[in-house]
Amino acid sequence: MGAYRADDDYDYLFKVVLIGDSGVGKSNLLSRFTRNEFSLESKSTIGVEFATRSIKVDDKVVKAQIWDTAGQERYRAITSAYYRGAVGALLVYDVTRHVTFENVARWLKELRDHTDANIVVMLVGNKADLRHLRAVSVEDATAFAERESTFFMETSALESMNVENAFTEVLTQIHSVVSKKALEVGNDPAALPKGQTINVGSRDDVSAVKKGGCCSN
Amino acid sequence: MISSIYLNSNNDSPFISGGSGGGGGSGRGRLSLIMAAVAAPSTPAVVFTALAGLALVAVIFYGASRRSNNSNSSSSNSSPSSSSSSSSSSWIHLRSVLFVVSSSSPASCSTSDRGRLKSPWSRRRRKHALSPQQWKSLFTLDGKLRDGGIKFLKRVRSGGVDTSIRAEVWPFLLGVYDLDSTKEERDIIRTRNRKEYEKLRRRCRQLLKQCNESFKLNEIGEISYEGDGESLIQASGSPSSEDATSARQSLSSEERSPDVEYSDDPSSALLEGNDVNNVDAASDTDSTDSDSSDGPEVIQTSPSNEFQEDNTSKTASTEISSSQMNGPSRLPNNEDFATWQRIIRLDAVRANAEWIPFSPCQAVIPESRAIRSAEAVGLKEYGHLEPNRIFHAARLVAILEAYALYDPEIGYCQGMSDLLSPIVSVISEDHEAFWCFVGFMKKARQNFRLDEVGIRRQLDIVAKIIKFKDSHLFRHLEKLQADDCFFVYRMVVVLFRRELTFEQTLCLWEVMWADQAAIRAGIGKSAWSRIRQRAPPTDDLLLYAIAASVLQRRKLIIEKYSSMEEIIKECNGMAGHLDIWKLLDDAHNLVVTLHDKMKLETSFR
Repeated sequence: MGAYRADDDYDYLFKVVLIGDSGVGKSNLLSRFTRNEFSLESKSTIGVEFATRSIKVDDKVVKAQIWDTAGQERYRAITSAYYRGAVGALLVYDVTRHVTFENVARWLKELRDHTDANIVVMLVGNKADLRHLRAVSVEDATAFAERESTFFMETSALESMNVENAFTEVLTQIHSVVSKKALEVGNDPAALPKGQTINVGSRDDVSAVKKGGCCSN
Repeated sequence: MISSIYLNSNNDSPFISGGSGGGGGSGRGRLSLIMAAVAAPSTPAVVFTALAGLALVAVIFYGASRRSNNSNSSSSNSSPSSSSSSSSSSWIHLRSVLFVVSSSSPASCSTSDRGRLKSPWSRRRRKHALSPQQWKSLFTLDGKLRDGGIKFLKRVRSGGVDTSIRAEVWPFLLGVYDLDSTKEERDIIRTRNRKEYEKLRRRCRQLLKQCNESFKLNEIGEISYEGDGESLIQASGSPSSEDATSARQSLSSEERSPDVEYSDDPSSALLEGNDVNNVDAASDTDSTDSDSSDGPEVIQTSPSNEFQEDNTSKTASTEISSSQMNGPSRLPNNEDFATWQRIIRLDAVRANAEWIPFSPCQAVIPESRAIRSAEAVGLKEYGHLEPNRIFHAARLVAILEAYALYDPEIGYCQGMSDLLSPIVSVISEDHEAFWCFVGFMKKARQNFRLDEVGIRRQLDIVAKIIKFKDSHLFRHLEKLQADDCFFVYRMVVVLFRRELTFEQTLCLWEVMWADQAAIRAGIGKSAWSRIRQRAPPTDDLLLYAIAASVLQRRKLIIEKYSSMEEIIKECNGMAGHLDIWKLLDDAHNLVVTLHDKMKLETSFR
């Protein structure tokens, strides 16, 4: 609780979800980014977990609230709560297991079905440190990302490779989308009182929250 | 000596620090603890009284000083004038040895109880766990539990089971053996169960082999499967030679089981629906055909009713599942056996090591045996593990796979390994662990159903408990759109496993299993109330415990939290901060207060 409130000094709060098959390393990407930790034995995630970290984007403090969930397809009771209000997503596969890449299309569809069209998506090929076991080529992944208009990066949560970059890139992109939105709305000063919720899209969920009274009522 | 001391504490005892307490246990009112020498003194309590009289007085002061305005009628209260500075840690220590014998106290009836007398359960602290001596004394000469197991279940309900006899006791709690079975009957069931399990394992190995061959045929040239495929091939190939050579000397039934069917025609259509059907119906038709030695036993020793129910329900579900298993082709939105096999292995190697101190004999496993057992089930990628954990993981794989075949409607779902791991740690024979798991899953399988009905129903019940008990808290949850109680999702799915320590989990589960066993055996409310009014056994004790854990934090939630996320974080952070016996007390209180109301509610739905 204390820690959660302590870093309350932010300009934006963005919810980002981690999705992808079981065992691709979602929880370790989360722990690497938010706590700089990695564990070979992190248990399967049941329900949802999340952690936060604030970073600077263009002079603004962006607090990322990153959600992590079970990879097994069956756990869908939580789906709506999980995606609600997400403005960014890391769609993770394991570069050493091709089947996890094959399932990426399905994850993407589910993501699109449950979130706003403006959501920022990055395809993430994790476990890139296992070079000798690579089963998914960079070319294939790049082609997929281009086709689906997502960002793409290979990472290694174990070696701490590109993890920071992947999250930062997503948060920066979200920020630019939100800024654009704010600019559009901003033409009418009455439309956006300070502390108002900013929606990336048309949904009325909390999507991106500008710092203000809204979170401290 | 101190003859009778009433110890009062408010709801906001230091126990539930962190801002919980408050009115969360408003129904609890005040605790009246009668110490030691009053009646039915327990040994630790007496010893404690003798040894720590001074500390006790200090704590009494403490308790009394916290009593605040609502003065109790207890005349013997040693109303202290000075406020004590005794620390909460000594208080916690004390609570664990306090023996509670108080019966209902009118003062504890809060408004929400509407004058209902409080049950003795509300004053309960952990009594002694069922001891080996008691356990032995519960049986008649022909090895039958006395009085249909009522006394047995009562003991377990109030204190759990001593570590040394868990392996013997659990099969009774989990319905592997009927409470009124004789030793002879149990031996027959045990033999039959072992054979049936071994048969399931043989099918698992066949399927593994079959999958590999399909992979080989279908995925030629595709690099992606090479890693998986190869390991599977090796895995399925090695056990046959393994079994034939060295494995028999080991104890694990996986390693020991004869691999008869490996030499059979490998192209037989094992993955076809019929065959899967046979697996499900292994206890009836199939067993008589293919394994004649099983025949007579299976038919004669007709097991408990639930067992048969289970089989019929399973056969009905097979139609759907067999289509899922029809070949390794990955249908969208459908999981097949190959997927389960993969995820099972994934989860098995990341099971944690908490169990090790509780399972000394399994803690020391020679590396060679660990590796052999891993190879026997096609487990790879265990390089980073200690031998005992490799062995544990291999056993998890064997049993989970067998279960996926036994109950293909559920198959494997993440979280199930959390439920199995304690059973595997306690019970050293795979086939016994398997049937205990089957017993556990009879109810828990609802948590893993594809249609999620089971989970939603349970979240719904938790919400109702909270709503009935604490409308203020519930309104707050509604305001935060958290009234679906989604934040307790994980507690429901893996039955508090992630929030409790290993030992705490076993205690909670044992108490919960005892309730379920009482209901199975038809030991209704009347049997319990014959002695005194108590919380009736309920199928939903877990849900009451979950609601209690939330109610303990009501103050924090109402005053500090303004989003569902914060409540989720709080719930996820409960790990390591729960007192299991306090939680059970609160849960039983809720049962006493709400059971009838909940029943009424659900029956009118």
